[in-house]
Amino acid sequence: MSHSAPPRDAFRLDAALDVPSEPRTRAPVPFRRVLIANRGEIAVRIQRTLRHMGIGTVAVFHRVDADAPHVAGADESVELVGDTAVAAHLDGAQIVASAVACGADAIHPGYGFLSENAGFARQVAEAGLTFIGPDADTIALMGDKISARQFAEAHGVPVAPSVMPTGDLDAFAAEAERIGFPLLIKAAAGGGGKGMSIVREAGALREAARIASSEAQRYFGDGRVYAEVYVERPRHIEVQVLGDGTGGAIHLFERECSVQRRFQKIIEEAPAARLPVALRDEICAAAVRLASAARYKNAGTVEFILGADGRFFFLEMNTRLQVEHPVTEMITGIDLVRAQLEIAAGQGLPAPQQEIVAHGHAVECRICAEAPDRGFLPATGAVRHLGVPQGPAIRFENALRQGQKITADFDPMLAKLVVAGADRGDAIDRTLSALGELAILGVETNVDYLARVLDHPAFRAGDLHTAFVSEHADSLAPRPLDAAARDRALIVAALGQRIFQTLVTDVPEPHASIGAWRN
Amino acid sequence: MTLKLKLEDGVHEVEIVARRPHLTVRIDGRLHTIADLGPAGDGSGAITFDGARLPFERIASTGTTLVRIDGRTVAVDVVDPFDEGAGPGSGRDEILAPMPGAVVHVHKAPGDPVTRGEAVLTIESMKLQTTLVAPRDGELVAVLKGEGDTFEKDEVVARLAPAEGDQ
Amino acid sequence: MRVIRSMIDTAGADFRRNAAHNRDLVARFRERQDAARHARPQRDLERLARQGKMRPRERIEKLLDPGTPFLELSSLAANMAYEGDSPSASSVTGIGVVSGREVMIRSDDSTVKGGAWYPLTAKKIVRALEIAMENRLPVVHLCDSAGGFLQLQSQVFPDKHMAGRIFRNQSHLSRLGVKQLALVFGHCTAGGAYIPALSDYSVIVRSTGAVFLGGPPLVRAATGEEVSVEELGGADMHTSVSGTCDYPATSEDEAIHIGREIVAQWDRPTRWNCQQETPEPPLYDPQEIYGIVPDDIKKQFDMREIIARIVDGSRFHEYQPAYGTTLICGFANIWGFKVGILANNGVLFNDSSLKGAHFIELCNQNNTPLVFLQNITGYMIGREYERRGITKDGAKMIMAQSCSRVPKFTVMCNGSFGAGNYGMCGRAFDSRLLLTWPNHQIGVMGGDQAANTLAEVKANQMRRNGGEVDAEVLERVWEDTRAAYQDQLSAYYSTSELWDDGMIDPADTRNALGIAISASLNAPLGEPGYGVFRF
Repeated sequence: MSHSAPPRDAFRLDAALDVPSEPRTRAPVPFRRVLIANRGEIAVRIQRTLRHMGIGTVAVFHRVDADAPHVAGADESVELVGDTAVAAHLDGAQIVASAVACGADAIHPGYGFLSENAGFARQVAEAGLTFIGPDADTIALMGDKISARQFAEAHGVPVAPSVMPTGDLDAFAAEAERIGFPLLIKAAAGGGGKGMSIVREAGALREAARIASSEAQRYFGDGRVYAEVYVERPRHIEVQVLGDGTGGAIHLFERECSVQRRFQKIIEEAPAARLPVALRDEICAAAVRLASAARYKNAGTVEFILGADGRFFFLEMNTRLQVEHPVTEMITGIDLVRAQLEIAAGQGLPAPQQEIVAHGHAVECRICAEAPDRGFLPATGAVRHLGVPQGPAIRFENALRQGQKITADFDPMLAKLVVAGADRGDAIDRTLSALGELAILGVETNVDYLARVLDHPAFRAGDLHTAFVSEHADSLAPRPLDAAARDRALIVAALGQRIFQTLVTDVPEPHASIGAWRN
Repeated sequence: MTLKLKLEDGVHEVEIVARRPHLTVRIDGRLHTIADLGPAGDGSGAITFDGARLPFERIASTGTTLVRIDGRTVAVDVVDPFDEGAGPGSGRDEILAPMPGAVVHVHKAPGDPVTRGEAVLTIESMKLQTTLVAPRDGELVAVLKGEGDTFEKDEVVARLAPAEGDQ
Repeated sequence: MRVIRSMIDTAGADFRRNAAHNRDLVARFRERQDAARHARPQRDLERLARQGKMRPRERIEKLLDPGTPFLELSSLAANMAYEGDSPSASSVTGIGVVSGREVMIRSDDSTVKGGAWYPLTAKKIVRALEIAMENRLPVVHLCDSAGGFLQLQSQVFPDKHMAGRIFRNQSHLSRLGVKQLALVFGHCTAGGAYIPALSDYSVIVRSTGAVFLGGPPLVRAATGEEVSVEELGGADMHTSVSGTCDYPATSEDEAIHIGREIVAQWDRPTRWNCQQETPEPPLYDPQEIYGIVPDDIKKQFDMREIIARIVDGSRFHEYQPAYGTTLICGFANIWGFKVGILANNGVLFNDSSLKGAHFIELCNQNNTPLVFLQNITGYMIGREYERRGITKDGAKMIMAQSCSRVPKFTVMCNGSFGAGNYGMCGRAFDSRLLLTWPNHQIGVMGGDQAANTLAEVKANQMRRNGGEVDAEVLERVWEDTRAAYQDQLSAYYSTSELWDDGMIDPADTRNALGIAISASLNAPLGEPGYGVFRF
């Protein structure tokens, strides 16, 4: 099996560089020093753009991270005090105080930690610093599922319809019918699948609701049922948006993040696989509509669920830089961190919508310390050997170093491998090749699992949905090595043993040449 | 003498058949030739395996050896056929006092299961505290000294149930 | 050096007839060797299996570095003694590589009479340790022996070169700084107990290994004490109480594993600097030796043809090619090692003796080991040759050869008769290794010659007594003498009595010599010096 793919002429590799190479004729942003309130690969990635822009970087770290690359790579670093590293990174007051103390004029929150904490955004602003993100009210609006949903619905962004529980079966059935089919009937008090059924046509609705209700009564002592739209083989499609804070908003196309395990994405790509252009435009337009209506100011992501029938519904909006933002950068050539900084500095959007063009295809794999064969349980260990794939259009976003201990202190994501290609097939081939070259030894990772997903016929065909991993569990299980591969592994392992090497090399002549001779 | 390696739950034997003109090994009955061995230990490298270049990455310095070849990571364990070892007293039923002294702490009681190396008694002698450990996995049948009791060198202080098959 | 151009017609009738003859000899040798190694009564093998014991050669195979050679010595020792009750003289000895170090391996064979030592067993062990001393080869003893074979104690116990010599040699090995390791798999009783005790390191297997001066029956008989084997000399007692042994092992495999680790700790000897080239195989197939050595000992053949099938690239630098032509002298490489070869191409005359003596001196001056390829009927006799001093010329050769400081190796290729055996470094002359081909014959003279000589003596006796010469009596003397000689002249008798270090397949000569020469480099060269040459 070979994953090597020759570059295709149609694809401009320079459009997919980690940071756009063409200097843009914009005024320099007014920040002199930015504190990055994060760690790991995202802190390193943000530093990279700041360095390109000539802005000083301040790292924060807990003592467990004293030797971490994000500290080593910063112009300045401040130690955070806390019982645990996570607690330290969630200590907004301490971080703001650190930023003030070291003369930073802005704070970039990265993702996770305090990035979607409205209170933190407010603290930053009150300290007279710029928060690289939306204002606290927008964060609060989008951070609450109900308010976000209502806001979306109010601005013509489709949300998944549902019928609230009621004791009146007839009224319930009538209302449920309006949602459309298929729909899912659930016990209001239920769980574990009891009292749950999928209804595909109006004729079956009443009977299903009656059965569900009586089952719910039997199991939970509560006969109330409710209905919601049943999205068959749902896909996770999200749209990268940029808003200038005055109602100006653009999208940078969509990303597909359907391949998930334990409700977390592991493979993302841009653009989405096999998405009809009209539907894509519809989804992207809805996202821009939302950002614009919210007078959104920052980079943000509007997440949708897309059914096999083409219906899509708003899930949530993430008001921060997304983990998988590099795939968008790869296809659009736009540095999203730079865009965030420029927007925060009041310099507006990087380009008008019509100038945003997508080239080729990009795939991101989240490299996690986990055991795919044991329910993706997090794994611990140490990075005793690190081999990084090299090549054009490959971004290995990481903050790893040889010898680094991998503990349960942080998220199991170790790094992201982002690879671009001329088209989806090319990008998959290149990613497989890069995964093959990627070596993280000393802690169990999902690298080989990711390769099996990418090489799966259903993945190649773009036949994706959020249950992809469980649907294909059998065919994604590792195949036993064939005898030849096993022998190769065994001999390489044997040669790693000093005792074996000695046995091979330490025999004097002429005995070594005579060999296993007996007289 | 062969090197026994465990991979994917199977045990495989790597046997050196010849060293010249190239290293020839037999693995589960199959012969392979290897050239350009490179040094043992961790890192990336490449050998010539049956005439073809075989690049690899490997960590082998301790415990499980991890090998990455053909874009796949494989864990290989060296089977130590003599895990029981020849350490002093290993495999025996009795725990003997290495020097005269007194018991300062009793960690285990008769009937307790013990694993090799697990503390059974702590003794003090010549101003030194020493922990006496189980010589092998098994069950304690007797702890013959209590806290404060004294004993002579080579006195039996605890005893394990005889291992199966022993007489 | 130039490549020897072979004159052999490998398609010719002579070649094919010789080859058939010699292949048959080798096949019979292999048969007898195989029987000596493996044929044992089922009862003994079952007992061994019950005890969880391996056979001696299985232990050796596990001890050796995988994929390395083992030069077994004297595999047919005692093959014509004790009515065949002591195959290989109940022991295995040989040179091999353990943990990257050249060692002498010496093993008892408890598949035969509990591994009891016959007289020839003692002789074989003493010789193995002598080889170890001469070559400074570390020794690994694999101990599993009931002790001396009591029925023959007078031939095992008392004399200078009997069993006591084993322990004397062990002591001297240690004095020379040569390491010894004993792996005690079975019993080491009586004198045998001293083998682990005199070794630098010892490993003993639990439950089967035991070391004691007197076993439980002897103890009971002597003092009435009742004691078990374990209590008296078991692994735990010796490794935790007496300190007689060093490491307990739970199995034979583990004992071997520990033994290999011990050898891996040993320093490596500084080898003296023998000239070496990159080895290359002979140009001519060594198996062709079968077609070269004639099917009748009386037929002459050119030893250069043999040399061409032993040495690297079949290259040979012949010294004095036109002088003393019945002794071929010259330089060659064997497995890369530079050697001086002396090979007989007929009876030794005055000139060939002088040439040989001179060439031996050249090799000593040049630090070049000597290889003797014997096919010798003796020094030339007769009035003319005595007048020319054949005896003093032969003496020069013996003197030069005896006092050589370089290692010597001897291969008995076809015949070794009379004083020729001495000049060509026979058994008495301290070859580091002396090997015999199956076709070889050795004696003070040939069977016919001895029969003729004794019949002649008998006839003279009858004449002196004034009687008639009784042709029938003479015939019987002739036949009896010849028959007795034939038996004792044979290579099987020679190797049975340990007059050599083993019978080998002629095609194996190159490998055997390579291993022997390599081993010899471990011992420093002696000081140069000769006695008085009679000129």
